[in-house]
Amino acid sequence: MSVENKKPEIIDESGDKYKYGFVTDIAADTVPKGLNEDIIRLISAKKDEPEWLLEWRLQAFRFWQKMEEPSWAKLSYDKIDYRNLHYYSAPKQKNAPKSLDEVDPELLKTYEKLGIPLKEQEALAGVVAVDAVFDSVSVATTYRAKLAEKGIIFCSISEAVKEHPGLVQQYLGSVVPYTDNFFACLNSAVFTDGSFVYIPKGVRCPMELSTYFRINAENTGQFERTLIVADDDGYVSYLEGCTAPQRDENQLHAAIVEIVILKNAEVKYSTVQNWYPGDKDGKGGVYNFVTKRAACRGENAKISWTQVETGSAVTWKYPSCILQGDNSVGEFYSVAITNNRQQADTGTKMIHIGKNTNSKIISKGISAGFSNQTYRGLVKISPGAVNARNYSQCDSLLIGDACGSHTVPYIENRNKTARLEHEATTSKISDEQLFYCLQRGIGGEEAVSLIVNGFCKEVMQHLPLEFAIEAAKLINISLEGSVG
Amino acid sequence: MGGLLQQAELPGANIPWLEALREKGRRAFAAQGMPTAKTEAWKYTRPRDLQTDDFVIRTTDNDKKCCGEAGHCSCEKQEEQSLPFECYEICFENGCLQHNHLHLPRGVTVMPLMEAITENDEIKAYLGKSVDIEHYPFAALNTAYLAGGLFIRIAGNTKLDKPLAVLNRTHSCHENLFCNLRNIIVLESGAEAELIESFTYDGAEKSRYFNNIVNEIYIGRKASLRHCKFQNEAFKAVHVSLSQVKVREGGNYESFCLQRGANLARNETKVLLTEEQARAEVNAAYIMNGWATIDTTTDIEHLSPQTYSDQLVRGIVGGNAKGVFQGKIHIAPEAVKTEGTQQHKALLLTDTAEVDCKPELEIFADDVKCSHGAASGELDEEQLFYLRSRGIGEDEARQILIDAYLEDVFARIRSEKIKDWLVSLSG
Repeated sequence: MSVENKKPEIIDESGDKYKYGFVTDIAADTVPKGLNEDIIRLISAKKDEPEWLLEWRLQAFRFWQKMEEPSWAKLSYDKIDYRNLHYYSAPKQKNAPKSLDEVDPELLKTYEKLGIPLKEQEALAGVVAVDAVFDSVSVATTYRAKLAEKGIIFCSISEAVKEHPGLVQQYLGSVVPYTDNFFACLNSAVFTDGSFVYIPKGVRCPMELSTYFRINAENTGQFERTLIVADDDGYVSYLEGCTAPQRDENQLHAAIVEIVILKNAEVKYSTVQNWYPGDKDGKGGVYNFVTKRAACRGENAKISWTQVETGSAVTWKYPSCILQGDNSVGEFYSVAITNNRQQADTGTKMIHIGKNTNSKIISKGISAGFSNQTYRGLVKISPGAVNARNYSQCDSLLIGDACGSHTVPYIENRNKTARLEHEATTSKISDEQLFYCLQRGIGGEEAVSLIVNGFCKEVMQHLPLEFAIEAAKLINISLEGSVG
Repeated sequence: MGGLLQQAELPGANIPWLEALREKGRRAFAAQGMPTAKTEAWKYTRPRDLQTDDFVIRTTDNDKKCCGEAGHCSCEKQEEQSLPFECYEICFENGCLQHNHLHLPRGVTVMPLMEAITENDEIKAYLGKSVDIEHYPFAALNTAYLAGGLFIRIAGNTKLDKPLAVLNRTHSCHENLFCNLRNIIVLESGAEAELIESFTYDGAEKSRYFNNIVNEIYIGRKASLRHCKFQNEAFKAVHVSLSQVKVREGGNYESFCLQRGANLARNETKVLLTEEQARAEVNAAYIMNGWATIDTTTDIEHLSPQTYSDQLVRGIVGGNAKGVFQGKIHIAPEAVKTEGTQQHKALLLTDTAEVDCKPELEIFADDVKCSHGAASGELDEEQLFYLRSRGIGEDEARQILIDAYLEDVFARIRSEKIKDWLVSLSG
């Protein structure tokens, strides 16, 4: 993704805010802390939502009240007081820095290393009033026009609710029902915004879609909801996130991504997640509790998840594939890096239902510092999944003697024709490899990043090109200071 | 659940510390109850489906009824099945020890657990010391009924010349028997021994009973125990066994377990490698049919540097059976330079068979080498074709491939005699 493309949304956003009356945030600010049916009604009213959506939110909320927060993950964090959160927060301009001088110099150093231009740094750091010189609204609008030509819908989910209610109503909650889990249920009750993508029959999306291009991409709040539908023979590659660390004051993020893939369609979903991980002692940082799931509903449908997870203090995330259609394919490629006091419990679920379904899991975990990381995955073969095939590989690399790396795969096979293979290894960077590099004049830190990048290569090559280059840089930065 | 916690008249009620221990067990079980769908350790094996109301606890009273005055079962028995090689045989019938005279070499002590409790203060150092009853409901239950079982001690530097075989047989004469056995096995520094455990039944195939076994095994410095187990309980029986092993510096624990019977069976091995150079090898095979659930659970904890563990498990699952493997390797932060490997493979023979597997790594140290692998699938069509094209009948060809599948796990049994015996039981 070219750097220039990132600017528009900031500008657009302010325009958008105006358009939808978001700027009247005095009103927004007055929404009290806490969660009850009135707050949900208020959120829904502010977003001018139809009755069915409000009803759905309320149902989710009532269900959520009866649920318990899951505790099975190998994570430890302070209990979240859900009554003490703002569920409808106005854009956080109040606390935003006035200029880059006020931004944490550590953050700026990182931007520099990633090669992000100054103006963009301001945008990322959340500096108010970004210079209007960078007005390239046209970039976004041109893209939108180009997509509309093909019949592709790409807009915010609030917009979609108004403009394409039929599609939203048909698919919203069909992959991740609100009864699914604690965080998904909470999201269903209070989700603020997110993206909606619809690829019509037989259309190949001509460009990689990214949250960057979408108007109002920022301030989607902590409860983001994304819905992607690829109709028969459609194709889309969707990018989420950003390699640059984003300034964010929300502690809790509970997002949902739902993907519906119909006959012969394909969706490629790439994520780079780099939320604020907290400081060296593990203070602050984002809790990232995400539910991502794709349903391959038609024959030959294909989903490919690629993720690079370097941020967040606590990550709880299992992008899953439901392989319902015959011959459907699910892939999961993941690199997760934890440093300092970060914790990540991540993995995938492959549910094989259709015949000849195929899935592949490649997970690379790197733990450094005092961090802890868990790969947790499920491969489930239903009795009808004749000739299903799964290959899983989960490798972990440990850097330093105070970190932990865990692997918890669940493998359930109920069909004899299925072939399942799972492999996992855990080790540290071998002294031989390091010695080889050092001997050739490559410094210690550089050698480690070289080896780590080699370790992750299998996953990185599945990222779109520009993304991959940035992600490689990001890996180096994430590991800084972890070696001698 | 209440069905398993009964008022029972147990020997040694006048020993306060023993009663206190039993009471602790009762409380721990009452607190945990039967594992439910949410009990992670019992995710795939469902004792919760058990009808537990009608189990009859084995007490001194019904001992007499069943075993008679002479200590022998009054019901009709099949031919005594001895092992096909020389060993020191100890028999339990319906959970009660048969008094046959053993000529044990010097330095080897084998005595009933109750005798050890009443006469030997040493037992206090071992009994209940390694089992975490707060997290093992069936071990808690076993503690609540502490009475039956053995105390085995091999003195320092003693090498047992023949395997010690503990043969457990259940007769169908006594329906719904619920039997708890606790064996304490202590190998002092430099001792070496081979232990065989077998669980079989006499009489009706469909006998229903519940064997709940806990072994506490202590392996001293540079001592070595080879532990072989054969489980072939009746079709409707329940078999739950926990072997809790503690291995000290340079000690070695090797185990092999072949399971083929019972309606619900769980063989759980928990090994603590507490000192440097401790080593454990836990191997298992299961062959099943019908509606059985056979569970092999391992948990190896590397607590010291330079410890080593290896696990190999093979399963053959047919009928409507369900094979379960839950393996865990835990490496503590200080356990550097350790190696842990684990492999599980299962073969599904029918469309209704199921294999559930959870191989787990929990690693808190960086200088380690750990790996696990898990695979499942059906018999390779090409291999079958190869054999068929050479004039071997379908059934025979399948059997050849199944035998070959189990070959590498049987090959790990060091003693040829024991290996041959177990292979003959696997067919």
